[in-house]
Amino acid sequence: METTATPSRSVRKVGGVGSARRQHSGAGPVSGRRRRDGARVVPWIYLAPAMIVLLALTVAPAVFIFYSAFRNDNILGGVGRFVGFDNFVQAVTDSSNQHSFLVTIGFVVVVVILEMVLGFALALPLAAQTPANRVGAALMLLPFAVTPAVAAMIFKQLLNPNYGWVGYYLGELGIAKGADLLGNPTTAWMMLVILDVWQWTPFITLILMAGLQAQPIEPREAALVDGATPWQMFRHITLPAMAPFIAIAAVLRTIQAFKTFDPFKILTGGGPGESTEIINLGIFRVGLQSFNIGLACAMGVLFLIVLSLFVPVMLRLIGRRADPEEM
Amino acid sequence: MSSPLTGTTGSKVRGVVGRAFLWLWLVIGLIPILFMLLTSIKPAGIANSIPPVWLFTPTVRNYASVLSGGSGHSEGFGQLLFNSAVVSLGATVLAIVLAVPAAYALSMRAFRARKRVSGWILSTYMFPPIVAVIPIFVFVGQLGLMDTYAALIVPYAAFNLPIVIWILRSSILQLPFEIQEAAMVDGASSWNVLRRIILPLLVPAIATAAVLTIVLSWNEFLFALSLTRSDAKTAPVGLQEFTGMYGTDWGNITAAATMIVAPILVLMVVLRRQMVAGLSFGAVK
Amino acid sequence: MIRPQSRAFRSRIVAAAALVVATTLAVTGCSASSSSPDANAAKPKTLRLLYTTDEANAAALATLVPEFKSKFGIDLKIDNQPYDALQQKVFSEFASKSSYYDVVVVDTPWAPALVRDLEPLSSYLDNAKLNPGSPQSDLTDFIPKVLYDTSVYNASAPIKQYPNPTQKPNLGSITKAGFDIYGLPIQSNVAVMAYRSDLFNDPVQKANFKAKYGRDLTVPKTWDEYAQVAAFFTQPDKKLYGTTVMAGVGDWATDDFKTLLASYGGDGTLVDKNMKPAFDSPAGLKALTYYAKLAQSGDVPPGSTSADWGTTADSFDNGLTAMTINYHDLKLADTVKGEIAYAPVPSATAAGPHFGTWMLSVNKYSKNKAWAYRAISWLTASQQQISMTKESLHPSRTSAYAAIGSDNPLASFYDTLGKSLAVGVGRARLTNYTEVSHEVAVAVNNAATGAQTPQQAIDSASQKVAALIKSGS
Repeated sequence: METTATPSRSVRKVGGVGSARRQHSGAGPVSGRRRRDGARVVPWIYLAPAMIVLLALTVAPAVFIFYSAFRNDNILGGVGRFVGFDNFVQAVTDSSNQHSFLVTIGFVVVVVILEMVLGFALALPLAAQTPANRVGAALMLLPFAVTPAVAAMIFKQLLNPNYGWVGYYLGELGIAKGADLLGNPTTAWMMLVILDVWQWTPFITLILMAGLQAQPIEPREAALVDGATPWQMFRHITLPAMAPFIAIAAVLRTIQAFKTFDPFKILTGGGPGESTEIINLGIFRVGLQSFNIGLACAMGVLFLIVLSLFVPVMLRLIGRRADPEEM
Repeated sequence: MSSPLTGTTGSKVRGVVGRAFLWLWLVIGLIPILFMLLTSIKPAGIANSIPPVWLFTPTVRNYASVLSGGSGHSEGFGQLLFNSAVVSLGATVLAIVLAVPAAYALSMRAFRARKRVSGWILSTYMFPPIVAVIPIFVFVGQLGLMDTYAALIVPYAAFNLPIVIWILRSSILQLPFEIQEAAMVDGASSWNVLRRIILPLLVPAIATAAVLTIVLSWNEFLFALSLTRSDAKTAPVGLQEFTGMYGTDWGNITAAATMIVAPILVLMVVLRRQMVAGLSFGAVK
Repeated sequence: MIRPQSRAFRSRIVAAAALVVATTLAVTGCSASSSSPDANAAKPKTLRLLYTTDEANAAALATLVPEFKSKFGIDLKIDNQPYDALQQKVFSEFASKSSYYDVVVVDTPWAPALVRDLEPLSSYLDNAKLNPGSPQSDLTDFIPKVLYDTSVYNASAPIKQYPNPTQKPNLGSITKAGFDIYGLPIQSNVAVMAYRSDLFNDPVQKANFKAKYGRDLTVPKTWDEYAQVAAFFTQPDKKLYGTTVMAGVGDWATDDFKTLLASYGGDGTLVDKNMKPAFDSPAGLKALTYYAKLAQSGDVPPGSTSADWGTTADSFDNGLTAMTINYHDLKLADTVKGEIAYAPVPSATAAGPHFGTWMLSVNKYSKNKAWAYRAISWLTASQQQISMTKESLHPSRTSAYAAIGSDNPLASFYDTLGKSLAVGVGRARLTNYTEVSHEVAVAVNNAATGAQTPQQAIDSASQKVAALIKSGS
């Protein structure tokens, strides 16, 4: 960790990142007309390769999806035509799709909140730099490293009511012997959430731990001298100083959570009934199993719209600290 | 850090509770991994017996059978692991090569559009793979790149690029600007500043970004399934062949899973410090 | 990312759009020609075949590779994928008009959507040079129902069934009716019942059964007997259950329901001749009510409402159940001492076990179509099918069933398989069967878990399936 920050910088951070922005956007120390002209072109040259790749792999697909969403092309032959909003009407009016969108958002909200709270609770003790915690941080990383598809398969076997460890040992403890935890919507959701929390809380814990370890000691010592209670210190010193880390963790985790696919496909396949059918599963079936590209693309466009509404709203809720410029 | 936390008895109690929770979490969190390892070395017949067998003579038979392939398996698992390694490393190298100059450009104070461009680059990270896979599949087919390493390397690099640029850019912003300034005054071109001054200082951040890209590329499933046949097929795609209509051979599947997970686990533990540093994504300035 | 953030960004979008439109036009521009077969085409070094894993018995097909090499001097390279991945792979290969695979395995429900990308085989079958040993690939030897259900399509109306599916296969009458043959069947899967004969023959069990129910313990022939015997064997404390259901959301649940629907006198194909859902009927209600009751009876292992083909096979193989209904022969785990026997699935007023067949088809875009045809003709020939029965292939030819002697360790299985195929009921032909099957599976699962009553489940599935049929045609 770069801990060479000068005291003045740390104070600036605690004081709010807005001031840092003003300093950045002011004319930099680069001076001279020649340099200014160069500065206009050179950055674009440096950016070009990365931007070309991003354009080709995200913008071009987005354009393709928009285009296809208005057509009924069957890429297995036959000629498609423009069908206007037909695909969208079908995607929006289908009650299963509405349900899928709702449960997708619900899943993301629940896991992100749970993982943030648990992640903070774990980061506090883990942030103390002791030898034991070095082992702890290594152990903490392990679930994060497990391939999601593998993790889901392992969970499925652990939860098998006939051969799984979970059913057996819970039964030994006198709880829920041989319960079919994936056969009931409530418990199936709980298992999916537990899998996600198991795998991704470490990610958040480690971000927050890094944040805690980078906190300057002075404001806290000063507060202690002033007789502040631990809760007051947490509320008025730690939490504000941690805001950028919390914002990063929440934003990244939210984006990733919307991409969840393998665990649902493997653990429940959308069941029982359609209770755990997130939108990614629907797009997979319509787009990649039936190859109904028009409808799948319309669902994709709706998903993109939900994402581009949801993420900025979340950013606002968390505050301007999540402005990428400041991260 | 320690003195404010250990000031009062109340906080001491809180500290003990916190630590107990932490270690309970860590131990419970190991169970799935332990299950995978143990099952993979259990002899045939007791892999799924209940109550679970804890004392047994370990065997490597499952590993041997998974690596040999044959009878209904297109290729040995070793080949798939090799493909995974090529694709993950290729994507990582490409992402870093693209990201270093981009991150440098986005850290230039005189570059007016940097705010909007970095916002846009970061927003591409939202693009859900399930939505991207259909058009990318069509493009790859048109370019005749199906089942090549490139067909996976480029998308993997692209999907990790926003995060890699972000990490590198914040690391550059953390460097004292005076170093660059001095070089510029001496007449060094921006390219030389990047190569001679910034790059050497950026090595730890590059290591972090590289580990993240390797992990996410290594674990990826959907694109690997859609864009490969047999030559570039990766290990997570091969894994699903071990579960089928005739049931699941838990010895084989956990052996294959262990071989997928082990390299990443080792890498993570070895590069733990870089991971932890990098996971703050430059929020520390 | 799709928010236009600047004018520059917007103009970039326009440029990218132009690029994409150009590519799309290029895609529609090229299409494969299907001319008459070139029997003298140069021999390729390798033929590539895209195949299943267990679903169509990859292990059995793999045994033929060395013999294929010595017979043709061509390497047969087989790539395997499990069901979901294979479906995606097969559709993707055709969607990109790829010539990579010369031969592709096709499951019946996919065929209507794919038929335009499969090579029609009538001119190959009629070409004497391509059929040196057996004229027309010995078409008449295929079980008629299997051939018509699996391979015979009218490409301009891919959801049309061949009007006369019991007729002895005859190429002339098939082409005259506007149909063609789009592949050769290799593996016929049909629902059969497996049971633990050691338990059924156990004198103690027999006596107990007689004492309890006042009749002899026999292999169930009706669904009522089936439920009764399942209840009799169930002893959860001894980790033994009567039978299995595959009620998890997936094709397996749809298949279980199809079997019951046909057996209660309904149209087991799920969709009737007027393209209306066929399960919204008294027979459908009876079938689903029976299934839900069995799933909730406690006579099936815990977890049955999320079970699939594989977990069901695991349950039986590990000695957890006395009976099961599945699509292949089963092997008890080493730790289980017992014996397996097979029988047709029970019936109510009729018999109609679900069946579906895998066929080997020639990729229309392959560069080696004549050799690909020779390959599938040889791989599905009687002699090769008989040889693959050693690895328990499910043959598609009458002669292969006839050749299985009583000394075959799986004689009882093959006898049942042949009998079941004769009465089996296939699927409706739809271009979006996967989605229809999903809706039915959701209904079956909802009824099995008790989340909905059977009537509610049928109503909601019927409504959704009707909409899917409409949008699919």
